[in-house]
Amino acid sequence: MEVLFRPTNATAAASELSLKPPRSGCLVHRVNQGLVFLHLKSYYLRSFSFCTLLPPSSHSFTSAIHSVPDSRVSEEVSSDSREWALQDFYSLRRDVEIVSNRVEEIRSSAGLEQLERELVDLELKASDSSFWDDRTKAQKILLALNDVKDKIKQLSDFKTQVEDAETIIKLTEEMDSVDGGLLEEATDIIKELNKALDRFELTELLSGPYDKEGAVISITAGAGGTDAQDWADMLLRMYMRWGEKQRYKTRIVEKSMGEEAGIKSATIELEGRYAYGYISGEKGTHRIVRQSPFNAKGLRQTSFSGVEVMPLLPEESMDVEIPEEDLDISFSRAGGKGGQNVNKVETAVRITHIPTGVTVRCTEERTQLANKIKAMSRLKAKLLVIAEEQRASEIKQIRGDVVKAEWGQQIRNYVFHPYKLVKDVRTGHETSDIISVMDGELEHFIKAYLRYKYTKSSNGED
Amino acid sequence: MTASYRLSSLCITTSIFSSHGTRQMKVRLTGFGGLSTFIRPPLHRLKSTPCALSSSVLFSSSSPPASQSHQVPLFLRVPKYATPVSDLQKWYSWASDLAASVGSTFLVSDNGPDSSLLCRELRWLLEDALQEDIDPSLIHQVGVNSAQREVNLKTGIEDLYKLWIQRIEERRPFQYIVGCEHWRDLVLCVQEGVLIPRPETEIIIDLVADVISSNRVLKEGFWADLGTGSGAIAIGTARALGGCGTVIATDLSPVAVKVASFNVQRYGLQGVVEVREGSWFEPLKDVQGKLAGLVSNPPYIPSENIPGLQAEVGRHEPKLALDGGVDGMDHLLHLCQGAASMLRTGGFFALETNGEKQSKLILDYMEKEHRGTFYNAKAVPDFAGVLRFVTAFRV
Repeated sequence: MEVLFRPTNATAAASELSLKPPRSGCLVHRVNQGLVFLHLKSYYLRSFSFCTLLPPSSHSFTSAIHSVPDSRVSEEVSSDSREWALQDFYSLRRDVEIVSNRVEEIRSSAGLEQLERELVDLELKASDSSFWDDRTKAQKILLALNDVKDKIKQLSDFKTQVEDAETIIKLTEEMDSVDGGLLEEATDIIKELNKALDRFELTELLSGPYDKEGAVISITAGAGGTDAQDWADMLLRMYMRWGEKQRYKTRIVEKSMGEEAGIKSATIELEGRYAYGYISGEKGTHRIVRQSPFNAKGLRQTSFSGVEVMPLLPEESMDVEIPEEDLDISFSRAGGKGGQNVNKVETAVRITHIPTGVTVRCTEERTQLANKIKAMSRLKAKLLVIAEEQRASEIKQIRGDVVKAEWGQQIRNYVFHPYKLVKDVRTGHETSDIISVMDGELEHFIKAYLRYKYTKSSNGED
Repeated sequence: MTASYRLSSLCITTSIFSSHGTRQMKVRLTGFGGLSTFIRPPLHRLKSTPCALSSSVLFSSSSPPASQSHQVPLFLRVPKYATPVSDLQKWYSWASDLAASVGSTFLVSDNGPDSSLLCRELRWLLEDALQEDIDPSLIHQVGVNSAQREVNLKTGIEDLYKLWIQRIEERRPFQYIVGCEHWRDLVLCVQEGVLIPRPETEIIIDLVADVISSNRVLKEGFWADLGTGSGAIAIGTARALGGCGTVIATDLSPVAVKVASFNVQRYGLQGVVEVREGSWFEPLKDVQGKLAGLVSNPPYIPSENIPGLQAEVGRHEPKLALDGGVDGMDHLLHLCQGAASMLRTGGFFALETNGEKQSKLILDYMEKEHRGTFYNAKAVPDFAGVLRFVTAFRV
């Protein structure tokens, strides 16, 4: 998440800094700084839209400049080291500001007040005289109580720590000297705090019941012939690259080739912690706009490919019973005489859950039975995920119409021509570096989506 | 253990049983010419001659000689052929192109596989040829590092070229190429001379499992799989019985007996499945009237359909296991008749057929010729909805 916050604050800081005209007496240094800031500015201004939403920086940079006397800066002898100290101080102060905002953001989005109410409630329950009558229930409550306490403590620790760092900054500003030791301490605090915040956010953002699991990604070429099949193949490569970069165990388990080029469909399995949590937001329709190499006239063409993501759940963890009459199981080896007359490796199995219309197909295994078992387990995983998304407590409550609409939703545009742009429809996150994205650089998109999902769900709860 | 049977005037010598008292029987065939009379069931004789002719002709012309040992399937061989990944990738892309060039020509000419099925086979061939701990997706990985790497294959790269040419140009079945077929949760070794088990037949095991789940007596009894081929049904049944009961698997073909025995051993079922060589009920005299269950996927394709079969089937699989006589009913009816005398009271039997027409004929036959012998006789559909099986219980 820091990716999202840093630029925004830094933009504010950087623009303020660069607006400050260089003053006499320390021209050289100022020019240097100007260059640095200019660079920063051009880098960060790309995300300018974020900046407008932000509250103005609480610390005025001007005061910092004043608080460091010009004479000190312009002293020739130790100018190098002092220049660095000054730079360090600036960047440290910026870091502290960023982290301070980040802490505020996290404390509010984690629902601190709500947590405190929960704590009171749980403590009340725990102090009840009949508390230990039901041991299992008591254990559960105690566990929940611990969790809430931990969380509150973490959140208040964040605040104390960032306040410590802020105090050091204020102190430095007010004092006429730079205390290396103190600044060192603040730097350490910020470093550790950032790590802790990352961890906290990760567990918050990836707190879905299946987020820890591995993932199954299925890619299906949409209508659009060879161009769409080639697009599906490009997506396959993108996710393979992403998986490899994350050091997940990545395996293509099924791949059905297109007639001329590309693929009709493919399925990848990613094994590794949090694979599902990260990649689940990729599900939906991905749209490409380009001058198709498969179009004789070289005209601009739009194609689509569908991506589905399911958790890779161990069979025993899926406690779902689906009544047989709700299932429509079909096998590819239908039609014709079958039996001894035919020898074809048609082992594909397709299962449709009739009430919701959710369908899975499994072709990768070498026997029908194995494909049926695998298809069943994928179907269960899919239904569980949908139930969770719809906050349905049972498969029976899933609303099929909603599934259809949601799973096919267009989520991202990849424009190769006439300009280069990848833009997520949901989060608005975008980049012109389409090559890196196709090489599996999905981190920013994924984080933006997780953030978006998190904000959406916490708003929804309020 | 000894099953003795008289062979018509034929030059077959049997020497039965090893010193361990095991069940495997060794039979030396010194001629094929007259065997058609041997495989022909009594009922068959009453029928017209063309089928007898055709079955004898087909049998003698296409059945491979009984080799001394079964072939080792690819996936069980030692991965001792170090091959650069780049060479393997070259082969794979060549083979993919060859598969792609087929398009739907096989499909159009004889309902054979199209390119996409061939590509699937190719992937599985690679899977079987690669050393176990290697991920087959390396074939798609580009980059210098992976291409310079070496991997161990279970056969030489030249052999892979040869095998794939056989697959496409001779239409040699994929299962003979790799020497195995995945069937239910089993991997069964197969080779020329043995019918490749079909996915439809997997259902027979479900039918058996259903029956024994509520019947302890049947679960602990003798079961027979007649014309076992690779041993698929026998092994599947034995595993369904779960340690109770015994399965006797018979086959006329010595190659099938060898292959089935090998598969039985591979699943450690030597004590449960006994493979006997001989025609239908001939090797089962000792259990007459005692069988708890009888299952079979006998040859049922009408003789006249044989020439038009998918090339993989018609040109390469044993006619002995396919040709069911004029209307394909010869062996089915023979088995049905035999079941009446072989099964114990309450015994179960299940046969695979060519579909609705044959299934109904069998039900009619049981009704007319064996009235009061069977109960609960019915035709059961396969996964495609074809009435593929007939099941019944002995009164």
